[in-house]
Amino acid sequence: MNLVKRLGLSAVGALIAATAVSAAWAESAAERAVKEAQKYKGQTITIVWEAGLQSLDPLNFSGPLWEKLTGMKVKVIEVQTAEMFTKIMQEYRAGTGAYDALNVMPSWMPDLANAGALEPLDAYVDKYGYKDEFQKIAPIYRDNWAKANGKIYGLPDDGDVFIMYFRKDIFEDQKVKDAFKAKAGRDLTVPKTWKEFGETGAALTEILKPQNVYGAAFFRQPPYTMFMFQERFRNEGGKFFDGGSMKATINSDIGIKVLTDMRNENKFMPPGVEQWGFVENLAAFMAGQTAMTISWPPYGRWAAGYGTDDKALNWVPKSTVGGKVGYALPPGGHPELAAGFDLSIASTSKNKDAAYLFIQWLNSEDISLQRVKLPTTLRDPFRDSHYTDAGYLALWPDAKDYLKTLKDASLAGIFDLSILQTDKYEEVLRQAISKLWAGEDPKAILDGAAAEWDNITKKIGVDKQKAVYTDWASKSGAYPK
Amino acid sequence: MTYAPRAKHESTVSRQSTRMPDHNFRYWIIAPSVFLLLLIGLFPLIYSLVVSFQQITMTDYDTSFAGLDNYLHLFEDARLWQSIAHTLVITVIALPLELLFGLAMAHLFLEKMPGRQIFISLIVLPTVISPVVAGATWRLLFDQRYGPINQVISWLAGHEVVLLWNITPHLVYPAILICEIWQWTPFMFLILLAALSNVDKSLTEAAELDGAGFWRIFFKIVLPAIWPVMAIAILIRGVDLFKIFDVIWALTSGGPGTMTETVSIYTYVQGFQQFETSYTAAIAFLIVGLMSMVVIWAIRRMGLAK
Repeated sequence: MNLVKRLGLSAVGALIAATAVSAAWAESAAERAVKEAQKYKGQTITIVWEAGLQSLDPLNFSGPLWEKLTGMKVKVIEVQTAEMFTKIMQEYRAGTGAYDALNVMPSWMPDLANAGALEPLDAYVDKYGYKDEFQKIAPIYRDNWAKANGKIYGLPDDGDVFIMYFRKDIFEDQKVKDAFKAKAGRDLTVPKTWKEFGETGAALTEILKPQNVYGAAFFRQPPYTMFMFQERFRNEGGKFFDGGSMKATINSDIGIKVLTDMRNENKFMPPGVEQWGFVENLAAFMAGQTAMTISWPPYGRWAAGYGTDDKALNWVPKSTVGGKVGYALPPGGHPELAAGFDLSIASTSKNKDAAYLFIQWLNSEDISLQRVKLPTTLRDPFRDSHYTDAGYLALWPDAKDYLKTLKDASLAGIFDLSILQTDKYEEVLRQAISKLWAGEDPKAILDGAAAEWDNITKKIGVDKQKAVYTDWASKSGAYPK
Repeated sequence: MTYAPRAKHESTVSRQSTRMPDHNFRYWIIAPSVFLLLLIGLFPLIYSLVVSFQQITMTDYDTSFAGLDNYLHLFEDARLWQSIAHTLVITVIALPLELLFGLAMAHLFLEKMPGRQIFISLIVLPTVISPVVAGATWRLLFDQRYGPINQVISWLAGHEVVLLWNITPHLVYPAILICEIWQWTPFMFLILLAALSNVDKSLTEAAELDGAGFWRIFFKIVLPAIWPVMAIAILIRGVDLFKIFDVIWALTSGGPGTMTETVSIYTYVQGFQQFETSYTAAIAFLIVGLMSMVVIWAIRRMGLAK
């Protein structure tokens, strides 16, 4: 009897425990973060965020909501992108603990992690039960952007990726298709290789120029083109370094071909395209003056007219191409996950748990879904659930195609070179692009750039850099598979 | 008995109070201010000097002593010397042009004319604009797509003219110089107008009566009279031009490549983009050294010390 009684009591106990555990697990990561954060009611956490549109998220949406839910205040420090790395490092060196949470570009991660400026997050992820939701971040971001030296230093929080936007109405216009076939000897299709892109762009310009429409245009200012070079170079089979000697190999035939092609493409793009930045390119596409372009995801939303009535977006030109825009992966099929943002914790923060809970909540499935749908804040889908959300799919008629393309990009993307002192290497590339537009010889430009890369590597230490590069190159999104 | 010593004491005090205080006392009075000024002024300089002998970068913990490495590297750094050359090119072209245009305009406005005050106020406007705003404005004016300059040129040419002012090698320096001269000629104008207004008219009139021509009067009477003021203006603008940053940063960011990179831009890039803290300090000291030599030479040469 006693045994039966004991077994019965154990069973009841196990049932109660199981119920409690399942109740706990039924709690979402956002709910768990809120519950835990209520212990810190009345405290303030400071977060560094990119100035401008990006900051409208914590200023107008997530910050006030977090305060309402937890009683914690969020102080947003807005910093221009170009100054963010410096400010974070300066604050870390000063050690004042002025910043608790940070927005960090993944390419800065090796430097910030090696310097000790970032707090490893593995223990927090376990402690606050975030593992499952962390795993549901799209693999390309989760596996490439979160870790340095095998530890989690950031929660990938922005699905920045280059997408090709094309005018469906032009590609489906029978007269254009006939004219294209007569010129190119093949059917008009959205280009899948850079060779096809060059042919298609040139032919479309010839056909559509009387209507003041060009085959394509890109942002060509060096900071943007530097990312495009990285993408195209790797799509064509290029490698940045010789893995053994760490000698720069950007001046290979592939590099020279990419630069040469890029300059030749300008001939069928609008005059002065070399000067174009994000806004100029957007304006031309929105005005219907270009048939193809490549940019980050917000172009797709704005071209469809989503959110552009908002006061904060009054600088975005009115779209004349709503409903006419198609989405595709850029030629080569492996788009650049250009720039992007992780959420991290400053190692000097005096409020690490509270800060972590805030970023877990921001990054969670529930809250991130709301954030990527904010029309003004430039955060792009980065979770599997974002790509299939019924609400997002219904935001505009072609949103399903848009999200499918973003999902495809999340499966095939390649991420920025992220090694020690990446910006020094990138600065050399920016200058190379600038020289290219000035008319210098691509081979001479890249030979000079490779020599500069070798000097930078030598100064950092070949073995030290090799270890970081090997780690980077081993990741799934380093080179096209 | 008690009265007498007291009187003696009072007379001693009285004598002491009417006597000049200790000569060192005045130094003690100003010492705190001097110390504070030295602390504010010299400490950063000394600290930078110390940093220039270390190997501090923002991305590394190593702050060890580097000896003369940073200073030796200055001599191998071709990009640094190119940037100094670019700075000199801009200075050598812009300074005389600003001086000449400023002088010519000052002459023009020397005589009374209707609306003179309004014109002077309008002419001086560019100098009150922030240089970075001036640079950004000119960038827009030179823009191929939105800028009126290319549109006017195209209209005059009768066909579309594509001039990429901030990219094409033979156009970038003219673009920078146009912007720089536009902004700072009024500074020269204002100073020289004040100087010319103070030239003794009786001398110029007497020379005219004696049959001296314009240039003779200018070189023999006007120029010597305005020279002290003109020399100061040249010195100020020369030093400013050597430090030029904002306008070029806004217009070309030092490009194409490093073609318009001045020494200030290079220093900024090294310090705040490449995070080479110690090397940047060494560059700063090189510039301080070079500038000091040039300024001392100029002060002597121009006779400003007199």
